[in-house]
Amino acid sequence: MNTRFLIGRLIDLGFVLFGVSILVFLMIRLIPGDAVAIMLGANTEITPDRIAELRDRLGLDDPLLVQYGNWLWRALQGDLGTSIWTGRPVLNEISVAIWPTVELTALSVLVGAGLSIPIGAFMAQARGGAAEVAVRVGAIAGLTIPSFWLGIVSIFLVAKLLPGVSALGYVPFTQDPLGNLQRMVLPVIALSLPMLANLSRLVRSAMLDALGQDYVRTARAKGASRRRVVYRHALRNALIPFVTSVGVSVGYLLGGAIVVEQVFAIPGLGRLVLGAISERNYPLVQATILVITATFVVVNFAVDLLYAAIDPRVTN
Amino acid sequence: MAKHKLAAVLLATSFLTGAASAATLDVAMDTSPAGLDPHLVTAFNSVLIVQSNIYQGLTDTTPGLQVVPNLADSWEISADGLTYTFRLAAGVTFHDGSTFDAEDVAASIRRVQSTEIASPLASRISPIIGVNVIDPLTIAFTLDAPFAPLLSSLAGIAIVPAEVETNKEALQQVPVGTGPFKFAEWQPNGFISLVKFDAYREAGKPHVDEVKFHFVPEAATRQVGLASGEYDLLPSIDPATALQLQGQPGITVHQTRDLGYTLVGMNASRAPLDDPRVREAVNMLLDRQEIIDGALFGSGVPGGPLSPALVDWALPTSDYACYTQNVEGAKALLAAAGVTGPVKIVMKVLPRQDTRDIAQVVQQQLAAGGFEVELVNQEIGQFVQDWRNSEFDMFVSANGGSVDPDQYFYRTFYSGGSTNVFKYDDAGLNALLDTGRSVTDTAARKAAYDAAQRQLACTGPIAHIAYGALSTAAGPNVSGFEINPLGRLTSLLDVTLTK
Repeated sequence: MNTRFLIGRLIDLGFVLFGVSILVFLMIRLIPGDAVAIMLGANTEITPDRIAELRDRLGLDDPLLVQYGNWLWRALQGDLGTSIWTGRPVLNEISVAIWPTVELTALSVLVGAGLSIPIGAFMAQARGGAAEVAVRVGAIAGLTIPSFWLGIVSIFLVAKLLPGVSALGYVPFTQDPLGNLQRMVLPVIALSLPMLANLSRLVRSAMLDALGQDYVRTARAKGASRRRVVYRHALRNALIPFVTSVGVSVGYLLGGAIVVEQVFAIPGLGRLVLGAISERNYPLVQATILVITATFVVVNFAVDLLYAAIDPRVTN
Repeated sequence: MAKHKLAAVLLATSFLTGAASAATLDVAMDTSPAGLDPHLVTAFNSVLIVQSNIYQGLTDTTPGLQVVPNLADSWEISADGLTYTFRLAAGVTFHDGSTFDAEDVAASIRRVQSTEIASPLASRISPIIGVNVIDPLTIAFTLDAPFAPLLSSLAGIAIVPAEVETNKEALQQVPVGTGPFKFAEWQPNGFISLVKFDAYREAGKPHVDEVKFHFVPEAATRQVGLASGEYDLLPSIDPATALQLQGQPGITVHQTRDLGYTLVGMNASRAPLDDPRVREAVNMLLDRQEIIDGALFGSGVPGGPLSPALVDWALPTSDYACYTQNVEGAKALLAAAGVTGPVKIVMKVLPRQDTRDIAQVVQQQLAAGGFEVELVNQEIGQFVQDWRNSEFDMFVSANGGSVDPDQYFYRTFYSGGSTNVFKYDDAGLNALLDTGRSVTDTAARKAAYDAAQRQLACTGPIAHIAYGALSTAAGPNVSGFEINPLGRLTSLLDVTLTK
């Protein structure tokens, strides 16, 4: 692997994070209503003195540029600030909330990407058959059904068909592995279905493409088994667009996780950031979005590396 | 292949063993509280969790809104109404094992009043100027002036251990009280778990081992969760949800009259609303039942200045002549006040669905009397700012309620009162409110507040619109739950579960 390639991508990463930090900083402050107004709400027993003190403590009276400079300076030293409401460092809050989201996303990638290969390969081979049409219709349905709708319907179905099964909330894996997995089943289905549908269609067309190539005919001619041709020869070449697509999908999964966490009452990053936005918890919003962005960029970075590993021509 | 089989077996068994443990009451609510310090939190969900369950006050308020003893067994009020002496309950312990005594009460009062802690509850006990510990189980409060609502105010002042008097952080994360449940675990954005306090002073209570407050942002999920038995209790649901849940098998919707109300506020320092006859005309133009049907799903009753839930105090609306819609009468009043031609009024609207809908109906009803009302939908921060600075002709908003008439009226209508943003200034009413606050004789108080209600209902700066219903839905396994008009979960220690 080429070091210059690696360093170049790392510099890109820095620029993206810097740009996002400015965007987020401005966006949350441009929403009408500042933290103090929200915090006090219609509470009538609070004096103007207290409002001034609170604004001062939060540094809300400084010019935006000064506020951003202060924040960036501390952020570069690893201090992303403390939550306005709980007073705890935002990194602590994020480190608690990140695990449910990581688990949810990872399992969804595993299920979505993992199942899409055999399903896509099947569709490519069985092209035109009744079974393939059924799977294809299912894939289109999977693409178009929104996660939140699927989530609520599946909660309702499980409630009716399997009474007594806990499908809502979250238990850490370390505390109760079975309870954890049981509560993950529905959210993972709701989250991974669109991805599965999308990827299996992609695998199907890439495979069809690959199966029509000369080297496949050659492989069959020299006596390789059908299975070996599909999985060794055709699939490997179909993998390049697939890997890219998985990388991009991870970003969408993070976005989808916000919705799914709402529906299934999972205390992850999505809940954290939504709550933080509605209560104008500036430091928490900035830090959480930065973490989500960094994850997205790092995953794409990893995909690029993987790409280079699959196809050495990429680095040149 | 063996691995796949193992995974399948794991999945299957996990589905089969998923039943919740026997005596946990699962409560679902929409948002996670910001903190749990009973002297600092004001958010509804925080109060719901800590009050009555984790913490108790010297007195308590029953679902019938009677003030009864709690951590105080009994009390005496001196003849001049300036000294309250409380006998405290013996043998009470805090969740951390320390013994409850008069020092804790004194420290709690000082804590609420301290400027360092800056508790929003301070104004409720502002008349207390001296705290005197007589012996470990007797304490006396001295007041600067007679203050009849003190006993009901004390129900909301949680007693905390003396050690935390100056500590602003400790109780936010780990509350320590004397209530029937003690804090066990907090999964941020997930749940807060309270477990039965074994040393609770009432033997045999509470009946459940654990109360778990789940934070479930999605309304549909809460509803399905209740139907499936995942959750047992949905406190304070909105009218539309209550309607949907009412018909479902096994689900009981407990309802009571809300203490809070929706209102049209009028600026008594701006022409023409500074004329009492114009304010009375506004009342006469309103058809409150039409507003309730059109904007509140029919959920609510027309109300005067006090909630009908305050059965001992509130007058029926039939006592107020201006509550019958009378367009001609209103026009006559306006003419008498010298108001001619269309009157341009800007009406600011609190950003809530119910208040927005109410504003539209009110706009039409007032048009019949020649008012040209312009509605301004504001962002919450802006609305509060204008409200606080009396920058309005009229506004539509919602107010909270309380157990005692003093808490409804004094700060809102007394000249210079902390929330008298209407700049209402009426010597006669001030005198009535002073009487209501300072005499302890119930009949004399009642007479003063009757007169105050009659005056405020028609010519006051607020046209009271409606008192809604407060609803809590309970699943089939819950028995013994009783709804409290204050919105608090005061009956959880009596709840039993049959699972």
